[in-house]
Amino acid sequence: MIVAERKPLDEIKEMIKTFKKVLNVGCGGCTSICFTGGQREVGQLNEDLENALKQEGKMLRPDGFTIERQCNGDFYPELDEIANDYDAILSMACGAGVQFLADRYPSKPVFPALNTTFVGIDRDIGWFEENCRTCRECVLGETAGICPITRCAKSLFNGPCGGTSRDGKCEVSKDTPCAWFEIFKRLKEQNRLENILKIKPAREWRNQTRGTMVHEDYQERYAK
Amino acid sequence: MDQAISNQDMKEVDAKKIKELLNRRKGKMKRFLSYCAHCSLCAESCFLYMKYKKDPRYMPSYKVIHSLGTLYRKRGKVDRKCLNEIKGIVWRNCVLCGRCYCPIGIHVPSMIAFARAVLRSQDIHPQHNEASSESWL
Repeated sequence: MIVAERKPLDEIKEMIKTFKKVLNVGCGGCTSICFTGGQREVGQLNEDLENALKQEGKMLRPDGFTIERQCNGDFYPELDEIANDYDAILSMACGAGVQFLADRYPSKPVFPALNTTFVGIDRDIGWFEENCRTCRECVLGETAGICPITRCAKSLFNGPCGGTSRDGKCEVSKDTPCAWFEIFKRLKEQNRLENILKIKPAREWRNQTRGTMVHEDYQERYAK
Repeated sequence: MDQAISNQDMKEVDAKKIKELLNRRKGKMKRFLSYCAHCSLCAESCFLYMKYKKDPRYMPSYKVIHSLGTLYRKRGKVDRKCLNEIKGIVWRNCVLCGRCYCPIGIHVPSMIAFARAVLRSQDIHPQHNEASSESWL
């Protein structure tokens, strides 16, 4: 799931304060699940903005509307009907959702109300952890299901470095487990320690360019 | 039960607003509902239907008929109890993965999404404790 956090209120306020009618659009997908961009958070942000702007002598309360996924055109028809009534749109989706929204209404200024933080997992209620950097060269099969790109402070592909403490912590912080120490422990438990000796060549860092993926079964349909 | 849920349960239903929303997309949605031939071919395309041992309540057709279908049948004149039942169908029983298949071409996800939009207009949506405990996406 994609995890996001709300931008500072002042930053959001600065983005929208010159507009008269603003629509704040929530997303019922990932940002709802991580409690930052669902219908409830839309209402909360609108109230916070109204109060903050009132202190500056501006009367503006954004309206709220939540659609099920901002990253899928199938869920836009209800929003299409009202979007034109507004001067600007605030989006409480991840960066992908914001861009989809901006593409959908190119004549409208669209602003992000959230900072997209990472792809993560639910460790517990309201506790999310980053576990994947979407690098497009997954090595989890060799590293016993522990991602060195995400969980090693240096994103080392061939670790560990010399900064691992005796109790398996990272030199960056004694509260941070060394990813390569964890990989070593788990590989040892699985009797696959030979994996750690393999030298992995330099990565291509393909995630630095924009990604598009068409599922194998649909390639014919979208062939140019 | 948290504060938000009790507020949700106490708020009066705005039947006029529901009716207005339903009327906006009446043509397409009612056409979809009337096209359903109850063939049940959509059933096995739903992973929840398969997961819950082919419980008919998880059939995509069942879900739209008992959510959006109910709203149209009652012309929006529904009480909060009815809306809460629909909430369970459109959020707990469906994750909107979009994989359901209808041989006639009925677009089930857009119908579920529309039913959710109607519920959202009444401030009915999954609460934090629900969203993280089950598949209330």
